Amino acid sequence: MFEYLPPLNDHNLPYPDTIHPIVVHFVIAMVLFSFVCDAIGYFTRNVRLYEVSWWNLCFATVSIFIAVIFGQVEAGLAEPYTAAESALNLHTLIGWSLSGIIAAVTAWRYILRSRDPKTLPAPFLGVGVVLVGLVFFQVYLGDLLVWIYGLHTVPVVEAAREGVF
Amino acid sequence: MNSSLIDQLQLGTNGLPYQIPIHPNLVHLTLGLFIVAIAFDIVGVLFPLEKPVFKLLAIPATRSNFFDVGWYNMLAAAIVTFFTVAAGFYEIMLAQPPSDVESIWGLRAMETMLWHGVGGVVLLLLIVAMTVWRGFQRFVWNRDKARQVQWAYVFAGLGIFALMFVHGTLGAQLAAEFGVHISADRLLEMGQDPNVVLK
Repeated sequence: MFEYLPPLNDHNLPYPDTIHPIVVHFVIAMVLFSFVCDAIGYFTRNVRLYEVSWWNLCFATVSIFIAVIFGQVEAGLAEPYTAAESALNLHTLIGWSLSGIIAAVTAWRYILRSRDPKTLPAPFLGVGVVLVGLVFFQVYLGDLLVWIYGLHTVPVVEAAREGVF
Repeated sequence: MNSSLIDQLQLGTNGLPYQIPIHPNLVHLTLGLFIVAIAFDIVGVLFPLEKPVFKLLAIPATRSNFFDVGWYNMLAAAIVTFFTVAAGFYEIMLAQPPSDVESIWGLRAMETMLWHGVGGVVLLLLIVAMTVWRGFQRFVWNRDKARQVQWAYVFAGLGIFALMFVHGTLGAQLAAEFGVHISADRLLEMGQDPNVVLK
C-alpha cells in the first residue's frame, strides 16, 4: 500500500515543510485577538470592537478544523520517540477538544450577536479567559514537540531512521 | 556570534536562558493578524458580491465591520511585530547552528540568518507603512465612503504575503534544518540521546 503514497522527504513529510504550525497562526492569533477586542470593548464601551472580535472568532473556527486535519497527518508521520509521546498525545487530545470548544463558543457568540450586537454579557468574557488559558497551554505543548523534541526536524528524522532512539 | 562570548552566559540545552524560544510564538501573532487584516479588507471591498452568501448563511453582516477588522488587526500586527523582531534578534544572536549544513535552498546557516534578520526588519517597516497607509484611508481620504480601502493597498498586502512566505520559510529552515534552539537537535549534535536526556 505504501508504494501508492508520495515519497517522504528528510522531514518525513510528503510535502516540503510542516503545514500545521502555519495554519495554527490563524487559530492562536485570532482567538487571542478576539478576546483582547472583547475585553477592551467591554471596558471602554467601544461596541465596534465586538464585531472585530466576532469575525476573528469565525476565522479561528474555520481555521482550527484545517489545523486539526494537518495536525493529525503530521502527528501520524512524526514517529515520536518515547520521551515525546505523552506531549504529542495530550496535544492531540486538546487539539480535537479545542475544535469543539471554539465552535461552541462561536455558536454562542452568534446567538448573542443575533439578539443584540451592542452588548456582551460578562460570562462570555469569563469563558474567554478559560479559552485563552487553554490555547496558551496547547501552544506550550506544540512548542514542546517542536522546540524540545524536534519532531519533523532533519536531525531527529535522520536519527530515527538510523535507529538512534 | 563568537561562541566564546555566548559561553559567558548561563544557557540551557537549547542555547537560550529559557525553555522555549519566544520569537516563533510571536510570529503566530504577526502573521495571523496581518494576513487576516488583508483578508477582511478584501471581503469588505468585494462585499456587494458576497451579500447573497451572508444572507443564505443567515449571518448578519455590515460592510463597515469588515473594514473595522481590516484596520484593528493591522494596527495590532504593527504593534506586536516590534516585539517579534526584538525577540528574533535576541535569539538569532544566541544561535550556534552547525557550519557544515546546507538548506534545501542551498544556503548555509549564516546566510539564512542574515537574510532572515534583514527580512524581518524590512517586513516590520512594510507592516508599519501599511498601517499608516490604512490609517489615512480610514480616517482621512475615504472617511465618508462606503468602500474604505483602495485596490492598490490590497495588492500591496498580497505582495507582502509572498515576501512573508519566503521569509517564513527561511525561519522554518533555521529551526527544522539547522536545528537552531531545538533541544533534541542540539543534543544529537553533541552525541547524546534526546530520548534519554529529555525523559
